[in-house]
Amino acid sequence: MRAHRWGSWIPLVLLLIFYAGYVLYPVGVMTVESLRSEDGFSLSHYADILRGDSSGNLEAAVNSVYVSVLSVVLGGLVGGALAFCVTQLNFPFRRLVSLLAVVPVALPPLVGVIAFLFVFGESGILPRLLQAGTGIPSSRVALDGIPAIVAVHVYSFNTYFFLFVSAALRQTDGSLVDAAAGLGASPSRILRLVILPGLRPALLGASILTFMASMASFSAPLLFAGGHRFITLQIFTTKLNGDLPLAAALSLLLTVVSLVFFVTLQLVSGARITLRRTKGTGRAGILRVHPAVRAILIGLSALLITLEALPLVVIVIVSFAREGSWTWQLFPSAYTLENYTRLLGERQIFEPVLNSSLMGLIALAVVLLVGVAGALLVTKGTLRKGRILWDVVFTLPYAIPGTVLAIALILAFNHPTPFSGFRVLVGTFWILPLAYVLRTYPLMMRSTAAALEQLDDGILEAASSFGAGPWMRFRRIIIPLILPGLVAGGVLTLITLLGEFVSSVLLYTYASRPIAVEILAQLRAYNFGSAAAYCVFLMVLILLVVGTGQWILRRRSP
Amino acid sequence: MRRMIMLALSAALAAGCSRPPAKTPLILYSPHGKEMLAEFEQQFEASHPDVDVQWLDMGSQDVYDRLRTERDNPQADLWWGGPMTSFERAASEGLLERYIPSWDASVPQGEKSKDGFWYGTFLTPEVIMYNNRMVTGDDAPKDWDDLLAPQWRGRILIRYPLASGTMRIIFCAMIERANAATGDSLAGFRWLQRLDANTKTYVADPTQLYLRIAREEAPLSVWNMPDVEMQANKSYQPFSYVVPASGTPVITEGIAIVKGSLHAAQAKAFYEFVTSKQSMIQEANDFYRIPTRTDLPGSSLPAWMTARKWKAMNVDWRRLQANERSWMQYWDDHVKGSGISNTGAR
Repeated sequence: MRAHRWGSWIPLVLLLIFYAGYVLYPVGVMTVESLRSEDGFSLSHYADILRGDSSGNLEAAVNSVYVSVLSVVLGGLVGGALAFCVTQLNFPFRRLVSLLAVVPVALPPLVGVIAFLFVFGESGILPRLLQAGTGIPSSRVALDGIPAIVAVHVYSFNTYFFLFVSAALRQTDGSLVDAAAGLGASPSRILRLVILPGLRPALLGASILTFMASMASFSAPLLFAGGHRFITLQIFTTKLNGDLPLAAALSLLLTVVSLVFFVTLQLVSGARITLRRTKGTGRAGILRVHPAVRAILIGLSALLITLEALPLVVIVIVSFAREGSWTWQLFPSAYTLENYTRLLGERQIFEPVLNSSLMGLIALAVVLLVGVAGALLVTKGTLRKGRILWDVVFTLPYAIPGTVLAIALILAFNHPTPFSGFRVLVGTFWILPLAYVLRTYPLMMRSTAAALEQLDDGILEAASSFGAGPWMRFRRIIIPLILPGLVAGGVLTLITLLGEFVSSVLLYTYASRPIAVEILAQLRAYNFGSAAAYCVFLMVLILLVVGTGQWILRRRSP
Repeated sequence: MRRMIMLALSAALAAGCSRPPAKTPLILYSPHGKEMLAEFEQQFEASHPDVDVQWLDMGSQDVYDRLRTERDNPQADLWWGGPMTSFERAASEGLLERYIPSWDASVPQGEKSKDGFWYGTFLTPEVIMYNNRMVTGDDAPKDWDDLLAPQWRGRILIRYPLASGTMRIIFCAMIERANAATGDSLAGFRWLQRLDANTKTYVADPTQLYLRIAREEAPLSVWNMPDVEMQANKSYQPFSYVVPASGTPVITEGIAIVKGSLHAAQAKAFYEFVTSKQSMIQEANDFYRIPTRTDLPGSSLPAWMTARKWKAMNVDWRRLQANERSWMQYWDDHVKGSGISNTGAR
């Protein structure tokens, strides 16, 4: 067993070096920067932020937290309701609903926000339809400002609740429900006393994800905030205005708020950020409710799902609209294939697609290595004892918002360091894949760890007593058993990265400009049709990734 | 699984490596827009087949921020476009390389850097822009102060100024103007606060501005003349503009070679190419850019350009540049939204 022990130390050391070099070091450099002031080092920037009277930074912090809490509550209601209907009621278009419900998470934030604008904004389809129908001015019903930001968050993040809650509901023990019903409990009593307690971990896990994603959200405030302040926007504008130390201080503030929330929920609940996998097929129609209630619930989920599908439909419509044909009109007045032909005719048009795919795959390879090694060490290896602590430590980067991560990397690697191979990384191709790895490896680690947890140690011991070495056990037992977790994590990683915008926009160079930045450039040039056509490309790419993931799984399990 | 990943990876790597080989890249940061950049990229590459012009289209404040971020590892060779105040600041921070172009003599003093770090290429007057389906030319505001009239309450959209070179200059010029008129150092901010009260909302980028005005969410904005001309004439947007009667800030837009440029020879060639007489004339006629060069034959330029019907506001550019950052920070902290939040977003 000596070899085994050494074998587990080497990954541990490598993992710690990785963590020290690419997580702790950049965050440390950023902390130092935030303390820099005109007369050496001081806490003056923090004092400025907290004093509040001289700047809007405190207001921004309050707004960010407020919007995030609202997003969690409303996202939970929407996602939870959908999950409930899909798993507990039997109705004809159930499959379609559960497919459509996960779409928003695959849509890159920037695309989602713009599609949203076209549907719900002041000159969007719905407010204008309402104006045409009822005469209520569209500006009265349109979403703008804080309500619009919350709505975008709910639109994008209710998927977390949907996924987590529906998985948990499927695992709800049907016999408990039956027993309770047999003892004469009413449906609402069953819901309150049997079903909801089982959902606590799922609700907490989804709340963590939603809260952190809302705190870190950039695209929605960028387009809808108007005169309101948000921390991510303050960071962006402070940096643009040339005050890097203050931007660093604000970044740390944002990270700390996210972290406090994250760690508290983690330690209090022990909730895991995982997509729980179900055994067997989902149980539908567990709960027997009154037909009227049932009809209302089904109608509600149909409405919600239509609203979720609308932005997608609009993107496709815009991609066929002639430039300039959609200003005061309800719908575009002229249609054309030009947006696609122009894109296809433009030189180097596929370079951003290639760049994003290449960087996504490079990141995925590293993420697989780091995620699997980390998950093994935490669940089965050396770090098993301090499990919860190490979980929090290794998933910390997930609580660092994309903007902050990018600024930390810029500060850390704009001069040569051992971790960057004694080169300057800023302005090179490699800084983006690095940022991508840091943004996504916690997801992979979580989903792998969840899969590993369900792996019985007895199987490994049995294999070991039959003489299988660590590599053999890893290859022949662990990998096949956790493959679904790996594929799920991999698909999530790739679709996140293909549309990544927040870090990319600060770090890209000409040689590495990714899809989201190209979409932004098309938008800057006011080529809405082309931007939409590009979004359609991206969605096709994402579908390909999801399809590949399913194909791998199908091939493995005949 | 492993085989799949290896396969996918090697395919991706092969795709990544099989790009066309060995042309010298020339990297250009510019806010001048896709149409104009693509046009001159093609022209230049036709006459310099060994050079691959690669441009990134971004706001001028973004360009400046990027150059500063990349100071230790410069990526760009050339910076084309943006207000002279940004170029002056970049020059004073050592981000630019000296270069005296062949046409040095044909640009007046004040429209170029004293030490040759940057040269003015275009003059950009700022204007009041309006949607001509919503407001007639007669009703549109005629001067800056008209924007504060009560009938425009909640009917002005403004590009969020911190990220925009154009908007920073307009706002700072308004501060300067009000301060000079009253001798009160806060008068300018009070003027902007009244503008803020009439502002429906601040939008993130030029696209949002064009989109929302074209879609009739509000009829008014302040923006620069060439971009409004471009949108009206090339994208068929319902935009018109008024040049403020009392005078408008006219921004000198610059061009400069980036310090530490890896392809300085190519950068110089491109610099000369896009500022040649012939190119300047094309930029004037096709892209509504008003040239700084005084040696272009008047007959080769559009009539509206030679007529120069705008009155330049007398701006103390030095003082403006010295105060720009702190003024904008103060505006962001104290003025932004102070009017909006009092009146509600709409």
